Amino acid sequence: MVSKAGKPSSQEILKKNVLNADLCTGCGACVNLCPYQVIYHDRTVQLHRCDLDDGKCRAFCPRWEIDLDLLRSSLCDSADLTPEIGAVKDYYLSRATDPKLREIAQHGGTVTALMELALTEGVIDSAIVSAGNHQQEQRGFKAIDKVSLQKNAGSKFTVSPIVAAFNQIAAENSGNVGVVATPCQALALAKMRLKPLQDDAGHIDKLKIVIGLFCGWTLAQEKFQALLLLNNINPATITGMDIPVGKKALVIKTGSGEKIISFDHVESCIREACRYCLDSTAEFADISVGSARFGNEWEEMRGWNQMIVRTARGSKLVDLALHRGILEVRKAPDGILKELKEAAAEKKRTALENIVKKSGSVKNLLYLNNSDPLVKKFMVKIKR
Amino acid sequence: MLKLLSPANREVLFMGNEAIARGALEAGVNVASGYPGTPSSEIIESLATVGKERNLYVEWSTNEKVALEVAAAASFAGLRSLCAMKQNGVNVASDFLLHLASSGTRGGIVLVTCEDPGALSSVNEGDSRYFARMLEIPLLEPANFQEAKDLTRWAFELSEEIRNIVVLRSVTRMSHASGNVICGKLPVKFRKAHFVYDGSIMDPLRGHVISTPVVAKHSLQQGKLKRATVLFENSPFNDYSGPKKPELLLITSSACFLYSREAIDMLNLQKRTGILKMDCTWPLPPKLLKKHLNSTDKIMIVEEVLPFLEENLKTLAAGMGKEIGIKTFYGKMDGTLPSVGELNPDVVAAALAKIMKVKHKSLPAAYTKELQKAAALIPARELTFCPGCPHRASFWNIHNAIALDGREGFVCGDIGCYAMGALFPATGYHTTPTLHSMGSGTGLASGFAKLAAFGFDKPILTVCGDSTFYHAVIPALINAQHNRADITFIVLDNSGTAMTGFQPHPGLTVSAMGELVPSVDIAGICKAIGANVAISDPFDLDGTCKILNSFVADKGSLNVLIMRQICALSPEKKGKKIFDVKVNEALCLGESCGCNRLCTRIFRCPALIWDRSKKKAVVDEVICAGCGVCYSICPQKAIIRTEAEKK
Repeated sequence: MVSKAGKPSSQEILKKNVLNADLCTGCGACVNLCPYQVIYHDRTVQLHRCDLDDGKCRAFCPRWEIDLDLLRSSLCDSADLTPEIGAVKDYYLSRATDPKLREIAQHGGTVTALMELALTEGVIDSAIVSAGNHQQEQRGFKAIDKVSLQKNAGSKFTVSPIVAAFNQIAAENSGNVGVVATPCQALALAKMRLKPLQDDAGHIDKLKIVIGLFCGWTLAQEKFQALLLLNNINPATITGMDIPVGKKALVIKTGSGEKIISFDHVESCIREACRYCLDSTAEFADISVGSARFGNEWEEMRGWNQMIVRTARGSKLVDLALHRGILEVRKAPDGILKELKEAAAEKKRTALENIVKKSGSVKNLLYLNNSDPLVKKFMVKIKR
Repeated sequence: MLKLLSPANREVLFMGNEAIARGALEAGVNVASGYPGTPSSEIIESLATVGKERNLYVEWSTNEKVALEVAAAASFAGLRSLCAMKQNGVNVASDFLLHLASSGTRGGIVLVTCEDPGALSSVNEGDSRYFARMLEIPLLEPANFQEAKDLTRWAFELSEEIRNIVVLRSVTRMSHASGNVICGKLPVKFRKAHFVYDGSIMDPLRGHVISTPVVAKHSLQQGKLKRATVLFENSPFNDYSGPKKPELLLITSSACFLYSREAIDMLNLQKRTGILKMDCTWPLPPKLLKKHLNSTDKIMIVEEVLPFLEENLKTLAAGMGKEIGIKTFYGKMDGTLPSVGELNPDVVAAALAKIMKVKHKSLPAAYTKELQKAAALIPARELTFCPGCPHRASFWNIHNAIALDGREGFVCGDIGCYAMGALFPATGYHTTPTLHSMGSGTGLASGFAKLAAFGFDKPILTVCGDSTFYHAVIPALINAQHNRADITFIVLDNSGTAMTGFQPHPGLTVSAMGELVPSVDIAGICKAIGANVAISDPFDLDGTCKILNSFVADKGSLNVLIMRQICALSPEKKGKKIFDVKVNEALCLGESCGCNRLCTRIFRCPALIWDRSKKKAVVDEVICAGCGVCYSICPQKAIIRTEAEKK
């Protein structure tokens, strides 16, 4: 649809360059701002046609006009910046001190412990986390206390439109907000922080903390549900999922025991958009947390998280957590950070390769700018 | 007293269809049946109002074929019967009509077809006169309102004279315009029904009423047609007016006779041209035509829509070429007149002026200029769903379900107001790329669903109205179930044959004559076929969309959703608002991002107005039906609804 001014509408731009290009991450940045875009399962659907050419829907899309250099220089301390994993103020292995919390968490329970703290200390009034339904369909959930937070702990393998929930909750005027976000979602929120809309009404100022999750990929919900049904697994009975190191399989815990699906099958369910993502550590979060999965010491490390403290805001929360004794940290073994950086750099190179393959030209990097210094750095080995 | 029962010799203003009904009453019609369809519906409707007084049985049948069968049974039993339908109804009835024409009839039976040149309220402009020629039965076309009555009455006599069915054809401008008619006598005696079948098979009045032995019966039928030709030769309904030797002879029928007369008057050609008005248009009476063809060398044929009369006349002229010589014919075949759309006096006058080399006085240039200026100010009258129409909400739900599914599903449309689902700009959401005949949406859907084997993997939906369901959908639905066609079938049940004026149908408990009758349950039929059946209120957007989402995603079964909500114009609902609706201007976002006029740009209910100066939506209280659906779609909750006071 063309706008009244004869330009392509914002919606059309998103449709052509993001949705139809299989770049949509399902983050929800374009949702809950108007009645035209909605999330269905984990897909962004343009329900009706809008002809505005300056719509909010395209303003914060993490797959449209991303200037990584500008985002980094504006939102991070330049002294902390690393090319591979963004800003690093501090880097720890961490876990929740409370063993009960660790039990319900995927790894060390760091994310849940930090969000609980932010809530109890009044840093935020609500935390937006991902909550799944019986179809492995995720939605942003507004947790206002420990109970609701703990209920939704643990890794989700399908994407959640967290930013859509932020758009809605920020507009409700119900106080300050913390968000647990994947890298793409953290990027959308970073775009909001960098350049809020004129009529934003201070929504973005309510965003007090973003805890990012390390992320390699997510699964497309409808494909994954079909795969589960094919393997006679009722999605409603799933209590947890994990990919043990060294095993090329997805372990699915259900009420009636564990089931294993070969990763070859799972791979076909990976969301296409994830192949074009450069960020595996949520570089634009205040704190990023992931598993501490390292080949040799897996068993020892599985109860721990890696934690990158990125911003002053993040530092403040982590310091408070240490002070209150709700987090335990230990020094990371030698080489682990290097390993993380190498993996992150590899993800960037692969994503850029995939982008070039898709666009057909090294000059056209889709949502990225080919003159962006960071992009250039990882483009070195990629040829037309 | 009812106008239709006016005493003899009284001059009454009748609508064309009322005149036809009065003609049937004067002929002593006993049984009248039909299926509603513009512009035919008022014939059965008016007869139903006098059913008791005139000892008549009147019914709205499930479809035109059944209607004709009901009428034929009366004829077989020696009664007089009339069957009314619109042009494409004849297509539906045609299979039975072929065999009926062959078996012959007994009591007078008239098939009235009211046709719609220009498709003012149709999705076709079919010319069903060709059926008369193809099926070898007589065709009559009244050319004014008096004739609409008189010719109908005579049609019954003709039918009894030749013992076969007679077709009487009207058009919108005849059926729906009104004119003065002098009434004739209404009979005082009523017939009794007797069906006799103990005679020889070839005995038209006592044998079995069947089309076999085919060749012998066919020959008998053609004899009947010859007898009709003889009667047509001297019929006063075929009439010439004009000079003895006109420069140009206009041969015309139906409303086109009136257009032709007006065109001649407009051009002052009364002394140079003559008009032969033909009411008996098939089979053409050769002697009468030979006489008139001999009076001139130039002939113009004026008719709607196709060159039916023209073709038949030329065939006749070719056969008598030695006697009448070579003629020049003007008509549709040489492009003098269009063979699509309606004619009118101006179109005829323009053609006439060209042939007669006279000036067709168009309007003065200054006047035309002013007219054009004024024309620009006339608001566009878009075809659209009424305020409060359930279909607007139904298609909203359907559109959203298809959009959410994301596989580019679509709806096979069908005939009813909901056909506007296929038209812009009834709504800002379009789902319906096909639209054909009644019931064909379901048949097409059944076919599309089988294309999955050819890589066509889209969800297929189809809609039909409640009346259409009974009319022609059931066989297609059975086909879909039996052949495992994976479709979502939606019944837009608004409790009546709404588009044509709320005629009853088998789903209701009142008959055409106002008697209590058992209703036939759509959900029960669908369940018996083996479908999953759900019922929803289309005004409940969330609930309906949820069901639709699951149906569209479901593979391998026939899913039926009956969306039930009475038509906003139905007598029991009209003028009764459920909600008072207004817009809170402070909350309305208007054109800005976050709404961009969802209600007036996309939902497009005529009761929602865009106030250009305020840049806000406004509810037009006068036409708002108070359904309150716009409250559910407003993203800002700026549309407020409060329960309306019960009146």
